[in-house]
Amino acid sequence: MSFNIFEAFKYRRKKTFIHSLDPRTKLALAIGVSALSIIFTELIILLIIFISLIPLLIIAKSIKEWTGTVKGLTLLIVFILFVNIVFNGLSFAVSMVLRIFSLITAFSLFFLTVHPDELSQALIQMKVPFSFAFAMSMAIRYVPTIAREAQTIREAQMSRGLELEKGGFTQKIKNFIPIIIPLIVSSIRRAVSIAESLESRGFGAYSNRTYLLPLKMKKRDYIVLITLLAAIIISVIIKFVVGLPPLLLLSIPF
Amino acid sequence: MLEVINVSYTYPSGDTALKNVSLKISDGELVAIMGPNGAGKSTLVKHFNGLLKPSKGKVLVDGVNTTNMTVAELSRKVGFVFQNADHQLFAETVEKEIEFTLKNLGLHENLEELKVKALEDFDLIKYRDKSPFSLSGGERKRVALASVLCANPKTIILDEPTAGQDLVQKNNLLELIRRFHSEGKTVVIVSHDVEFIVDINPRIITLVNGEILCDGDVQDVLANKMILEYSSLTPAQITEFAWRICEELKPLPNNIITVDQLIEALKTHIIGGSL
Amino acid sequence: MPLIEFENVSFKYGDSENYAIKDINLKIDEGEFILLTGSTGCGKTTLIRCVNGLIPHFHQGVLEGKITVNGYLTTEQTVAFLSTIVGVVFQNPENQLVSLNVLRELAFGPENMGLPREEINNRINETAEKLELKHLLDKTPIELSGGEQQRVAIASALTLKPKILLLDEPTANLDPKSAKMIIELLGALNKALNLTIIVIEHRLELLMDYVKRVILMEHGRIIADGRPAEVLYSDEAERSGVNIPRLIRVFKKLKQSGVNLIFNPVTISEGVDALKVMSRC
Repeated sequence: MSFNIFEAFKYRRKKTFIHSLDPRTKLALAIGVSALSIIFTELIILLIIFISLIPLLIIAKSIKEWTGTVKGLTLLIVFILFVNIVFNGLSFAVSMVLRIFSLITAFSLFFLTVHPDELSQALIQMKVPFSFAFAMSMAIRYVPTIAREAQTIREAQMSRGLELEKGGFTQKIKNFIPIIIPLIVSSIRRAVSIAESLESRGFGAYSNRTYLLPLKMKKRDYIVLITLLAAIIISVIIKFVVGLPPLLLLSIPF
Repeated sequence: MLEVINVSYTYPSGDTALKNVSLKISDGELVAIMGPNGAGKSTLVKHFNGLLKPSKGKVLVDGVNTTNMTVAELSRKVGFVFQNADHQLFAETVEKEIEFTLKNLGLHENLEELKVKALEDFDLIKYRDKSPFSLSGGERKRVALASVLCANPKTIILDEPTAGQDLVQKNNLLELIRRFHSEGKTVVIVSHDVEFIVDINPRIITLVNGEILCDGDVQDVLANKMILEYSSLTPAQITEFAWRICEELKPLPNNIITVDQLIEALKTHIIGGSL
Repeated sequence: MPLIEFENVSFKYGDSENYAIKDINLKIDEGEFILLTGSTGCGKTTLIRCVNGLIPHFHQGVLEGKITVNGYLTTEQTVAFLSTIVGVVFQNPENQLVSLNVLRELAFGPENMGLPREEINNRINETAEKLELKHLLDKTPIELSGGEQQRVAIASALTLKPKILLLDEPTANLDPKSAKMIIELLGALNKALNLTIIVIEHRLELLMDYVKRVILMEHGRIIADGRPAEVLYSDEAERSGVNIPRLIRVFKKLKQSGVNLIFNPVTISEGVDALKVMSRC
């Protein structure tokens, strides 16, 4: 199950309108949508926010991956629903779930469509230091490598009779030691050899580093950003100045 | 005895690694599994100790279906040594490394006896109290071997044992494998080190795209241009040399794979006169 | 002036009591293709680290003697500066491919140097063309085969346009076919670019068609240095336990049994020629 969540937040290479947007635009989109779904507590509005995200998923051809994420989080969602029904009533519970759906959707849309290299480039252009941004994209780069190594180590130790499921709670934790230690040792070895390779290609040596693929905001980015901004401003005005029309205040009547 | 009956295996990702593979390995046989990377060699041998269970078909170890057995149960019969020793070593001392396996496999009764035997067999007595991490690469490899084979399994699986090893280390391995064989153990080696395999002289099974391409002795496989080509293997230097001599000089027997065979053939067919 | 020169070089790693290399004297000219070999732990990797400045700048310890590369003393230059003269490819390509796609990997060195974008693009195109990587530019490292990964690692060193390429067991993780292709590629690069290449390798027979010089090390010292025929037929080679190609073993055995050889063959073609001469006698 945890594997599913990880998979569904992983970038997929596709050619769609959403993929072609600047990562900064998509970050703004994710944050904007999250802000909206936190400002509003009304069921109908949260439903509108959530529904309006679905076309974006369709345009990004990412419905399948998104479904994966949601499936992976089923347990959490059911838990939230249950706790809220007990303490706050059905209407509030459904609103909370819709809110969580919107948050998950907004961020999985971001991670599914932003290449980690683009993300680090975006950070660099947002004045985050290069070494930090690079460390982040390298961490993402090495996740599958280390996951594969962990799997090999697990199999190697199982072949020496290690049974992970055996024993009580503390024993179960102890069972992981024969996997964790080799993994740490080989990761340290790997880190040294990566450092050698980085050093041998002038990593961090000069302050005037070139970035081959700088990000540039395009027309489509401005269109998306302006639309988003307009939506936020209008919503805020309606919520705090004008007041919501009664139709939008409807809730589940028990 | 290992029996693989119509086995197919598909990874959760959807990649099919084995397609309807059947084979039988009798007790005491020496077998090499060869083929290009990604052909399914590791996938196949991981079925022998239950790390993988077939998607279709069945695998029998001494007549028992592996589907109903755990890896730990199977490991008493089938010892699997992974390529990289560093993936197995974790304990404070060499001795504890070996005890770990023996305890896991429930061999408490004659633990002391088996442990000392393993330390002796792999020439590790003088390192018994040392940390495995303080040892050299070749020594760590021996600890890894000892830590699997201490349970005295009837069948031994070695995955790419010679990768990154120099000649001295390879010769040590060669000697070990010959010893296992003479003790009547079944040995299965996954490798693409053609010259090492020539020296071991096993039965060879080549896998390509998850299917068995051929199953024969060293000369059938490693001296056969077609089979080498299809299995993405390169001929041993001696074999290639013999082919060139045939093309440019004089025909030689077409199954030459060892230094001694070639010298013999040269003496008979080419330089007899100059001796 | 030689491109690489070692004068009485010894090195001891910070945490060790013994010298990893001892009294190394070595001259290497531009365009040479050299095989560096010896059993595990003989000091080959240490020697290579001295050439590109990883010793003493990255791996600390006691360095004695003088190392000159392209006229520069390595002790007085940074590894980054030396990287434009010396490229390095290590054993495990997984640990050198740090980017998420091949294009960025090839750009990595030149970007660090602060080269103009146009120049970087030219270098990527040129290198990708030469090493047949164009179709792989947007692949991630995990989507590549081992041989492809190692080709990318070589390419990403070459985009810095070095004069020297050092390779530490570049084929150790590859299957025989990919290994052969990598060595063929090195041969081609040596010829086409007059690139000076030093390669560490245990499978000597792979390199016999290409190298003109073999350096053999044992316990931190160079024990033989010369043409492949000289070194590999020597008693030092036999004694050091290096994996002498089997073709050479055949001829050595023939010699021992009294056959006269007018020269010592190391490649298959030379072997055939030697036999031709013999069969005529």
